[in-house]
Amino acid sequence: MFWTFDFPQRLSSIKKKYINNPKGNKKMEMKKMAMRSQVYEWTNLAPTSTGSNIRQSNDPISVTVDAEKALDIFIGGKGTNITQPASTTATQFVVIEDIAASPQSGGALNVRINTTDYFQNPDVTQQAGVPGLASPYPRGTTSGGETFTLGEGATGATNNGGSNVIAGDNVLPSFSLTPEVYVLPGQTWSVLYTCTATINGGVTLANGTINVGAVAAFVKYTLYDGPDSLIANKLLEMGITVNPSNVDWYKRSLLEQQSRAMATPNGGA
Amino acid sequence: MAMRSQVYEWDGARGPTPGTTGTMLGRSLSIFIGGVGNNITMPASTTATQFVVIEEIAATPTYFGIKSTLTLATSVRGLNGASTNSYFGPLAYAQIVINTTEYFQDPDNVSNYGVPGAASPYPRSVNFQPSFSLHPTVYVLPGQTWDVRYTTFSSNAGVALGDNQCFTKYTLYDGPDSLIANKLLEMGITVNPGNVDWYKRSLLSAASAPAPTNGA
Repeated sequence: MFWTFDFPQRLSSIKKKYINNPKGNKKMEMKKMAMRSQVYEWTNLAPTSTGSNIRQSNDPISVTVDAEKALDIFIGGKGTNITQPASTTATQFVVIEDIAASPQSGGALNVRINTTDYFQNPDVTQQAGVPGLASPYPRGTTSGGETFTLGEGATGATNNGGSNVIAGDNVLPSFSLTPEVYVLPGQTWSVLYTCTATINGGVTLANGTINVGAVAAFVKYTLYDGPDSLIANKLLEMGITVNPSNVDWYKRSLLEQQSRAMATPNGGA
Repeated sequence: MAMRSQVYEWDGARGPTPGTTGTMLGRSLSIFIGGVGNNITMPASTTATQFVVIEEIAATPTYFGIKSTLTLATSVRGLNGASTNSYFGPLAYAQIVINTTEYFQDPDNVSNYGVPGAASPYPRSVNFQPSFSLHPTVYVLPGQTWDVRYTTFSSNAGVALGDNQCFTKYTLYDGPDSLIANKLLEMGITVNPGNVDWYKRSLLSAASAPAPTNGA
């Protein structure tokens, strides 16, 4: 099999509008911020123990999350959500660079592009995805379901409110999402959270009859918009990793090509 | 000193107007001129000869966990919370704003509250380590105004020193280095001190190169 290396072609319309604007209004063009680092955090926190909320709410409480059920962290109807499914427009290109989840209760994350789950078992069957133990959020958090080891309280009692807690271990990542996951223009994507034990919602009662859990998931991605999305597609065609450095490299290649063309007597035609 | 590494630390409990739950909860506060905590005299902006590259933002982290049966703790790993909940810390986020545009958005293309403190904690510790780095960095071009906004969603995290903090690290390019930064931006080259130095070296090499013999 032969790989064909496609030398960067001139995208003159892009250059004129975004890179080498002869009108001198570059500042306005650059405000488009066409390559942006983005983050999304999901928590099972909402105003009520059964619902969801668009983004975070004041003094939220935990929402119950059922065991062994994949929950869409964007529009799953539990905890913090957004208004519509995550998708890319015709002029957007998304590169998912990191996913992480609370390691407690067997939490795990999977990426779904359109209807295809990214992480699969070796026999090509479904799995929950990357365990929170392998990619913890926050990094350095504790691993066990019995998260809190009670320390000595103010009165020496073992069950007094206001006691300090000596937390357990520090989970660090064993996993990095390399190669990254590309979401091409026009695709829909989601991130699914699954836990092996039910996470109880509501509030902890003084008689200790309920174990309330707060869990979170985190996604880091880079959004390429407008001309940078076109360049990202071009890099993909060329078999080059899509990252900010390579997008910048491609832009430089275009500019150098233009400079060479202008230096020749017939304008490079 | 035309290229300087700069930092700004905000604490909601410092300054002439320390924050309270009422003034902070759910409010997107400018860490520069928000009227809460330590502030500066005017909005952060660049002059015509300045270029700023924001390289890091961070905020007080949050701890999420599962409560064991007989625990009604209100403090975990130095973070405060309610005895009835299982998260500790301010549920804080830090957002960058350039002129009127908020940098961080959700996948539905709606602006969110920014980077969670749990992803980019300040201060960093063994217990709280960063999952996020600001790459690519954020450029503030000459003549623009910029801001970092802090939002907390927990009234149980406390309002004492260290309970609500935000940090930003940026590099200020001034004078000729600002011009070089703009040039690098036009060339599609990342603006950082190494590349600015590289460009200077290129100019010097070109200036010291022998002139063509025909004087053209």
